[in-house]
Amino acid sequence: MEQQTSANGDPIVLVRDVYKEFHRDAITIPVLMGIDLELKARDFLALMGPSGSGKSTLLNLVAGLDRPTSGQVIVAGQDLGRTSEGELAKWRSRHIGFIFQLYNLIPVLTAYENVELPLTLTRLSRRQRDEHVKAALEVVGLSDRLHHYPRQLSGGQEQRVAIARAIATDPTLLVADEPTGDLDAKSAGEILDLMERLNQEFEKTIIMVTHDPRAAQRAKRLAHLEKGVLVDALPSQAETTARREASA
Amino acid sequence: MKSLKYIWRNVTRNKLRSSLTILSVGFSLALLTVLLGYMATQNLWGSEAKKYNRIVVMNTQGFAGDVPIAYVDRVRRIDGVLAAVPYMWFGGNYKAEQMPFSQFGTDAQQAFDVWSEFTIDPAQLEAWRNNRQGCVVDRRLAARRGWKIGEKIPLQGTYYQFNLDLELSGTFDSPQNTDTLWFHWKYLDEGLRKAEAIGEGNAGTIFAKVERTSRIPEVVEKIDAQFASSNNPTRTQTESAFAQMFVEMLGNIRTYMLAIGLAVVFSLSLVAANAMAMSMRERTTEIAVLKAIGFSRGRVLWMVLGESCLIGLAGGILGVGIGCLFLQVLNRLMPLQFPFQVHEIAGLWLAALLAIAAAIGLASGIVPAVRAAQQSVVNGLRQVV
Repeated sequence: MEQQTSANGDPIVLVRDVYKEFHRDAITIPVLMGIDLELKARDFLALMGPSGSGKSTLLNLVAGLDRPTSGQVIVAGQDLGRTSEGELAKWRSRHIGFIFQLYNLIPVLTAYENVELPLTLTRLSRRQRDEHVKAALEVVGLSDRLHHYPRQLSGGQEQRVAIARAIATDPTLLVADEPTGDLDAKSAGEILDLMERLNQEFEKTIIMVTHDPRAAQRAKRLAHLEKGVLVDALPSQAETTARREASA
Repeated sequence: MKSLKYIWRNVTRNKLRSSLTILSVGFSLALLTVLLGYMATQNLWGSEAKKYNRIVVMNTQGFAGDVPIAYVDRVRRIDGVLAAVPYMWFGGNYKAEQMPFSQFGTDAQQAFDVWSEFTIDPAQLEAWRNNRQGCVVDRRLAARRGWKIGEKIPLQGTYYQFNLDLELSGTFDSPQNTDTLWFHWKYLDEGLRKAEAIGEGNAGTIFAKVERTSRIPEVVEKIDAQFASSNNPTRTQTESAFAQMFVEMLGNIRTYMLAIGLAVVFSLSLVAANAMAMSMRERTTEIAVLKAIGFSRGRVLWMVLGESCLIGLAGGILGVGIGCLFLQVLNRLMPLQFPFQVHEIAGLWLAALLAIAAAIGLASGIVPAVRAAQQSVVNGLRQVV
């Protein structure tokens, strides 16, 4: 897997004065209010906040699944608010890797086929796809589960296959929505180890929504959302400790 | 092509539901196959009849009017006619069975000249000619009933008030199973005369063999002109037109049958559409995930349509297969109505049925496919995130 670098030092994610509203009949529900956020290459941001604070909405905007009501979301150099639906789909296949709380693997496909799925959208040959799939499954430590169906895997293994699917296309940004929310403590720890490794060893830029403070501590930066407003975006405890150690 | 595996896995995902959907499409297509097969049989009967230069002489009033037996000799004498025979439908019961096969009174001397494509052992033909109560039957009819030469075949008159006590003199071979028994017209006529029953002296119809196709119009005109001013004027037509007449008699019935068949196809298409919609509803999140990782609306649309088409086509292949099998069974059991085997009547209509099956699949998948393609990714994922 290639290491992710920022070619010119520009931020991978740039969110500027973003507002997002939803409409239910005649009622307007403001969800995000004037969000500003910046993520550089190799950042690992944990996004925390109570339910309904707008974490998932912000994640969806950054992942190109939704558009802001106003403001600008630029990811990997692409202004997502100005991109058509069809172009966004193509853009996501190249730049975004998704990790969901409930893994969301396709139950009728094997681990290998699930990981291969996003690669079928590329121009890679069958052999090249095979190499990518095996490399991704190797990274998550499931080389021996290639032909297992999701129902034949544990929750932790399923999430690892989902991570392999997310990294198979070598995307610019990994977005994870409560990746450990459905796992026991041991499996959750393994998944967080894996995500840390992806960030540190493979230099992947990650944005992760979580409720779990222990999960958030694994990130380099921590941001809190309260009622649609970003109240702080600070280095996490892990990052602070690392910086102290580095300066010492 | 890369998505084919996924499409196939989705088809086989819920085996019970897919099987039932395939069966529902298959049932309607099997029904249509039998209906269209029957129509193809009728059409082929007409075109087959064109090959043999045969004409049929009837009373202008159709089967209700008589064709005097004296007309047979007068037809034979017309230039261009090679042979002519009376051909009188009997319609008798055999033991406890009501009209289980066709029975015609004809002339043993010329019958195999008129139906020159039929073959019979000369010794058996001679035996029939020399036995007043003798009869010959299609070999397949004899085989089905286990009749041997010398078998007594009693036929109880239904329309004609005379019972025939026949003895099997021989069996003949014909290109298609005719399911027919021929006996001496004279035997019946003498019986009717003795019993003073209705029908004596009536040839029923006259079948004649014409020298060549080009002479048929001239011969037909001569025959009808000859009897035009008699008490029993005739209407002569080619055997093909005669066959077509039966098809036309079924005209409305054919339309009704086809309409019912299409109604069944339509209603079962709705069943298939419902199954497809259910399947898609269950996969809302999965489709959202596909779109999230970059599958375009168009690709999702074609994947769903591909799945529904595959189900429709599988139902079509199954249904057409079952329908053909059924036609083959009908050919054995009801050879008079279904004289041709499937390979003889097979044509573009079979391909059209498969196209209909694919179209059913396509139609049943359109609404779920469009919904899946238009579904918002965020809403689809909301169920789980």
